[in-house]
Order: sequence, then structure tokens, then C-alpha cells
Amino acid sequence: MSTDTPPPSTARVAEAALRPLGWGGWLGFALAGTGVVVLAIAVARLLWVGIGVWGNNIPHVWGFDLIAYAWWIGVANAASLFAAVLVLRRHGLRTAVNRFAEAAALAAVLAAALYPILHLGRPWLFYWTLPYPSTWGLWPQFGSTLVWDFWGISAHVLVTSMFWYVGLIPDLATLRDRAARRGRIGLARAYGLPALGWRGSVAHWHRHQAAYRMVAALVLPLLLSAQTVVALEFAVTVVADWHQARLPLHFIATGLPSGLGIVLALAVALRHGLSLREFVDRGDMDLLARLLAAAGIAALLAWMHEAGTALLQEDGTTRDAFLVRLAGPAWWIAVVMSGLLPQLFWWQKLRRDLIFVPIGLLAAAGVWLDRWSLVVDGVSRPRVPFPVTAYAPSGDEWALLLGSASFFAFALLCFGRFLPAVSMFETRHEESEQELEEEER
Amino acid sequence: MKRVLGAALYWLLRRPRAAEVVLPPRGAGTIAEFHDADALTEAVRAARAEGWTRFEAYAPHPVPDAAEAMGIHAAPVGWIAAGAGVAAMAGAYGLTMYLSVVDYPVNVGGRPPHAWPVYLPAAYIVGVLVAALAALLSMLWLNGLPRLHHPVFAARGFLRASEDRFFLWISPDDPMHTPEGAQRFLRSQAPLRVSEVPPS
Repeated sequence: MSTDTPPPSTARVAEAALRPLGWGGWLGFALAGTGVVVLAIAVARLLWVGIGVWGNNIPHVWGFDLIAYAWWIGVANAASLFAAVLVLRRHGLRTAVNRFAEAAALAAVLAAALYPILHLGRPWLFYWTLPYPSTWGLWPQFGSTLVWDFWGISAHVLVTSMFWYVGLIPDLATLRDRAARRGRIGLARAYGLPALGWRGSVAHWHRHQAAYRMVAALVLPLLLSAQTVVALEFAVTVVADWHQARLPLHFIATGLPSGLGIVLALAVALRHGLSLREFVDRGDMDLLARLLAAAGIAALLAWMHEAGTALLQEDGTTRDAFLVRLAGPAWWIAVVMSGLLPQLFWWQKLRRDLIFVPIGLLAAAGVWLDRWSLVVDGVSRPRVPFPVTAYAPSGDEWALLLGSASFFAFALLCFGRFLPAVSMFETRHEESEQELEEEER
Repeated sequence: MKRVLGAALYWLLRRPRAAEVVLPPRGAGTIAEFHDADALTEAVRAARAEGWTRFEAYAPHPVPDAAEAMGIHAAPVGWIAAGAGVAAMAGAYGLTMYLSVVDYPVNVGGRPPHAWPVYLPAAYIVGVLVAALAALLSMLWLNGLPRLHHPVFAARGFLRASEDRFFLWISPDDPMHTPEGAQRFLRSQAPLRVSEVPPS
């Protein structure tokens, strides 16, 4: 076993992080930054005035807040599921896309974490869900889904960021050394601090790989619980359409197209925006597109199961509630956009960058509509003894949604700007493994 | 009190031990640069066979063969993470149970205070969280990171160790180490270059 060639240069990847920003980058930062300002204003208004700035009211106690929360968690879940599976299977695709799938997951989970805190009503008291020895001697109600949610979200944020950071340490060291070689000492220090003094010792690599795969493996059970906890918040209520044991599975399965769709669209942006076509190549894109199509099938099965159980069961209340949802357009559009549309990717001819972006984003938007159908249409037949008005989101809610999307974009732009978008050490490793296999043949 | 503080300050601010060892005029060891991972692995095997004990190998990507040749096991990371995770899961469940059964039982609609199914989600999540934390921290701890400086960074061309070159460094702490002996051994491994690491 000998590899005569040195590992391939990943200088291009590091360059993308170290070179000055072009006008396109500045435009992106400006647009996303504006959105983040909108988010800050929306949050400030919410904190100052209160939840009344939103359009929700009985029976629509949850509106955009829970739709967006469930949706962002779904995006984060599918993206980190994808990244974790790639790391664990040591799949060739991982070098290209797992780093930014991790980054997308982290940005999405940060966007998601905004909502449950904001929708508390008195967000500054969120720490009441923590079991801390208060002066009143009271403890949180551990049977409450809100307490599970607290742990679920904080663990999701922490584990996702650790997964991303562990993989990043050696690449930060590469950036540190490249900056140092050019005499940019300040930059070298900025990268060197989070690189923790990594010097690439073979012994360190060995433990690093073990820890990386361990955290990747731990992401999987966490994903299961993240969507499950969200779903259980619905399932423990007595709303007819929500009070179902199938809800956790539904959230996990229908969440997949959203994250994969966004990762697919981001991959196109990386290929063209950061000129990384050779690292994220046609084969990677093909595989990712077919994964999205497969996720669409999983989501379609979940929707068939939903329709089947609702329509076939004897309990008229649940059936009626579901029929109301079928009468609205959201459910059908979700099925078409997230379930049926990605099926186009089974055709080789349609797997093109130009088609990836709209279909990926539509698949993600479709899942948002599914959450709308569940959260809003699901309580349209509320059985309360007074006339109810339909839910209409207010400007503040739109600003919050737009703002959280901008925050997501802003975070990703920062990742793309300052950090290697493709895992450099895995690219080197993978290519040396490939050469080995070719020689053994 | 002052003396304790002084001692603590000294301990915090003192130079790392490896740097203390390499005071001039002694160099900071001898280093060889290699072209590829297999040459490095062969050199590591040879170093072990010849009885060198204090040496480190550097690579821009994981080289499991070389790590195994050095006798490094990654298993402790997994064991620490698994142990911490299970302990945290038990701790979270135990805390929940203690608080809601013993310390402050609340009767909610006649439900039993020890309602174990609803304690499970938080315990499960906390277990996973702590296991992941332990995996990261135990990896850093076993690797002796974070660390502000290491003498090997002063070696010629070492910055390429994070890009495309492979290095074998013999520490001056090695009982067999003399600059000449280390150079002789490293040159026999067909490296690209052998050099003395200047004291940093």
C-alpha cells in the first residue's frame, strides 16, 4: 500500500474563506443584514407591546410562531440527519456536503430556537423551565411538554454546534497556518484561538475521528427526540386533529424534504457563489437530488397514512377535523410541492443546477404549508360556544418569519465567508483512500 | 492568602513544560518531513522498532495506520462519552423523580407523583447532550488541547502539516535523543528533509 502522490490541494477551499469579498457577497450580506434588522425590530416590538401584536387568538392560540418553529426544526433535523449519516457511513459525498449541511442545520436550529422563547408571552422568564433552586422552593412541572421542549431545544442547539465545531477544528488550524504563512498574524490568531492549538498529531487525529463519529452518532437519537417533542406538544392537547399518536412520525417524515431541499439549493449556491464546482461535483448533486426524491416518497407515505387513518377511523370528530383541512388548499399544495414535485429528480435530464434551486426551495416551502395546515386548519372546527374568526397573520408575524429567514441566510453567509465551506481534511483523506483502492484493484 | 494567589498566578502564567525543557542552547528536537502518509507510517514503525519513545507524527488528515503503529487507542473517548451519557441520564431521571416525588409532590388530578413515562423525554435528551459534550471534552483532554504553543510549530515548513505534508518529530526528551542520532535515524527513512527544530 503506497500512495505516491501527495494529498490533493484544498487550497481553493481555504482561498474561498480568505479572499476579499466580491460585490455579490456584499449584496448578499446587505440584504440578509437588512432582514436581521427587521427581525430585531419585530422582536423588540413583541417584547415591548406583547403577544397582542400577533394575529393569533382563541381558538388559534398558535399561528406563525409554532408553524415556523416546527418548520425550522424540520429543516435543522433533515440537514443534520443527512450530515450525520454521511459521517457515519464514511460516504464519499460527505466531504463535499456534510460541512455545509451541518452549518445549515446549526443556522436553522438557531432560527428555530427563537420562536419557543418568543412565544412564551414573558420570554424573559424562560429560565422558569429550568430546575434551579428558586427562593419559592418551587420546581418546574416535569410532566409539561414545555419542560421537555426546553431540554430538547437547548440540547439540539448544543449538540448541533458541537457536531459542527468538532469537524471544524482541524480546518481552522489549516486556515490559521495559511494566514500565518502570508504574514497575516492577526487573522492567524483569530483562527488559531478556536483551533485550540491543533497541530495535526496522528494520535490527536485518531481520537478526533472517534469523537467526531461519536457526536455524529449522538445526533441521530437527538433528531428523533427533537421532532418528537415538537409533535408531542400537539399530541398532548385535546384538539381532535392533533390528539394522535402518529404525529411524531408524521413530523419526522414530512420534515425530511424541507432540510434536504434547502441543502440542495445551498449546494448550488456554493458551486457557483464560491466556485467550488470540483468539490461539490455532479455526482454529489445527483445523489443529493435523488435523496430529496426519496424523502418526498417518505413524506408522501406519511400523508397517505394521515389521510388513511383520519378517513377510515370511526371517530367522527377526528374525521371532520381532517376533512376541514382537506377543504383548505395548504394540505394539497404541501403534498404536491414537497411530495410529488421532487419525484421529477428520478429523471436524469432534470437533475440540473437550474432546476435544483426552485424545486429544492418549493419542497421546503411545501413542508411549511403542511405545518400551516396542521396548526391553523387543524383547529378551524374548534367546538367552542362562540363564533370564531379565521386566523390572519399580522405584519409583525410576517416580519418575524422574514427576519428569521434572513437570520438563517446571514448566519450561512458568515459561515461561507469566514470558514471553509467544504471539509478540507476529509477531502484530503478521502482522495488518498480512493487512490489506495485503485491501486489494490 | 497572598502566597496561595502568587502560587496560583505562577502556575497559570508559567511557560508550558515542554517549552521549559527546550531552553537554549538545546534545540527543540529533530524533525523529518515526508511526502505521503505511507512514508510516515513506515517511519513510525521503524521508530518504534528502534526503541524511540518520545516522538510525534503529524499529518494533514487522519492516518489510522500510523496511529495504530504508535499504539494509540481511540476507545477511551467512546467509553468516557458512553459512561457520562448513562450517568447523566440516570442523574436527570433521579433529579426529576426526587423533586416531584420527595421534595415537592403536587397532586395533579389524582395522578401518581412518580409518573415515570413523562420523565423519560428530558432524561433521554440530557443523556444524549452530556454524552456528546463528554466526547468532545474527553477528546480534547486526552489530546492535551487546548494548548497555546508547542515547540514543533517553530520547525521549518511545519505550517504545511495542516495542508499537504507529513512530519515525524523526535522530542529532545527522548532518552535516546542526541541531535546526531536522531538525524541519522530520520535520514534513513527517506524523508524530503531533516532539520533541527530551533528553540522557540
